[in-house]
Amino acid sequence: MKKYGYKILAGLAILSVLAAAFWWGGNAPSLRGRKDAQTSDINNTLTAHIPAQPPVDISSERESQQQKDTSNNPLNEKEAENSDNKAPVTTKKEDSGGVETVSLDKPSAEPASDEKPVPESRKDEETADKQLTCTLSVRCDTILKNISWLKPEKVELIPEDGIIFAEQEVVFYEGESVFNVLLREMKKNKIHLEFENMPVYKSAYIEGINNIYEFDCGELSGWMYRVNGDFPNYGSSRYQLAPGDKVEWLYTCDLGSDIGGGSSFQGIRR
Amino acid sequence: MNTFKTYHPIVNFAYFTFVIVFSMFFMHPVCLGISLFCSFAYSILLNGKKAARFNFLYMLPMLLFAALVNPAFNHEGASILGYLPGGNPLTLESIAYGVSAAVMIVSVICWFSCYNAVMTSDKFIYLFGRVAPSLSLVLSMTLRFVPKFKEQMRVVANAQKCIGRDVTGTSMLQRAKNGVSILSIMVTWALENAVETADSMKSRGYGLKGRTSFSIYTFDLRDKRAMIAISLLGIYVAVGKFAGGLYFRYFPTIKSVAITPYSISLFFAYFALCMLPIIIEIREAQNWKSIKSKI
Repeated sequence: MKKYGYKILAGLAILSVLAAAFWWGGNAPSLRGRKDAQTSDINNTLTAHIPAQPPVDISSERESQQQKDTSNNPLNEKEAENSDNKAPVTTKKEDSGGVETVSLDKPSAEPASDEKPVPESRKDEETADKQLTCTLSVRCDTILKNISWLKPEKVELIPEDGIIFAEQEVVFYEGESVFNVLLREMKKNKIHLEFENMPVYKSAYIEGINNIYEFDCGELSGWMYRVNGDFPNYGSSRYQLAPGDKVEWLYTCDLGSDIGGGSSFQGIRR
Repeated sequence: MNTFKTYHPIVNFAYFTFVIVFSMFFMHPVCLGISLFCSFAYSILLNGKKAARFNFLYMLPMLLFAALVNPAFNHEGASILGYLPGGNPLTLESIAYGVSAAVMIVSVICWFSCYNAVMTSDKFIYLFGRVAPSLSLVLSMTLRFVPKFKEQMRVVANAQKCIGRDVTGTSMLQRAKNGVSILSIMVTWALENAVETADSMKSRGYGLKGRTSFSIYTFDLRDKRAMIAISLLGIYVAVGKFAGGLYFRYFPTIKSVAITPYSISLFFAYFALCMLPIIIEIREAQNWKSIKSKI
């Protein structure tokens, strides 16, 4: 016992340090609102079935959409020609300035499943796409409720009402994704936006808007997007916009369950 | 030309511990500037022309490179200067942080080159041989490895040259062959040397209980004074850092602690700490001059 006393003591010391780090670092399950997430899960599972389609539906819908896209191509071209004749020159300029700097492929240019490659002509067509509108807003009002979790140096960045980009109609071009629109509008309004291209998911990940980053307000925080009340379960650059869509970018402090988007993560648990 | 080296090992070690740790953790631009300036000055004082060439030929380009690379990967910051081709913003804060981090890396490398010139392996063994014998032996062998390897490589290359296996001149293929044979000799030598060192230390009873070891170091009044100065300055600066007197942040907006007499006193203490060996050197030179003039 005397011989190994030091070793046992050292082991205990290491264990206690690890335990302290675990609790103090906030990974403990009872901290950081994980409990709330579980209770609201029940509500979400109940409601999730109604608005959010199961993943299979989405993929099949997307596929059919793409089929439509490809099958409608000649028609689109005709349309494009028409709009090219009608559209004023200014739209063309705006398009080439705003869109071409984006390296990300538009969702239609690179399908999620590589079954149906879109013809090359589609890309040329983009410059003559029709102007459509949707509404966009960026909000972080969940932080106001959890301001004590927020990193102290970021407090000055939070608007008083939590609205970074008030809801307004914005222009997008046919075939563009939620991500394209967000990127263009943030650039236009000089709001900071950092994203990362994720080749694994063929998608972009929004890390921070207005310098409010993921993990800045607790370990379960980050940006999520909602279109017409639903939280899509895939990246924003793969969500193809339809005219009149209502796009909201929301900051969550609790893995989505504080903004009603907890269901997006439930595929893992079920 | 190296008075600080003749001080007691504990004084040297305390100085380098404070200076290197502070250089790593203090991101205030004034502290970084102090650290960079002092490390450059001290390394040139210690190693002369060689250090100056190394600093300006390799360290400065590396500083510029590191400063430029940061904004390519870091896009945080409130003041947007423009947009990168990928679509992410280029911000003033990321550039500033890149420069600061680069200065930090370069000054720490420079401090380590000073450390190697002052803290020889026997000093390190003297300090830690009793507390952690095997660890200190391994550490000192590791720290000695690169310079020793370089030296032996030169010897081996010269010997090979004598038997006609030159690494300069002849055809590319022949040179590569000779180079590989030298490398193989070196690897064998390094492994054998390590085993031999360990064996020889063991056969002398290194690390055994109750064994004393000879040392030529005495802790005299001079060391006492230097030690008091180093620990007072070091603790004052460290306490100031913990009290937030050196606060500086880069993200999301650049913000410094207000420049008050207190923070200025911290900067001066840090500068004095970093300059201590150079001050000792200068005083010694003056002393020597005055003694010489009396004769």
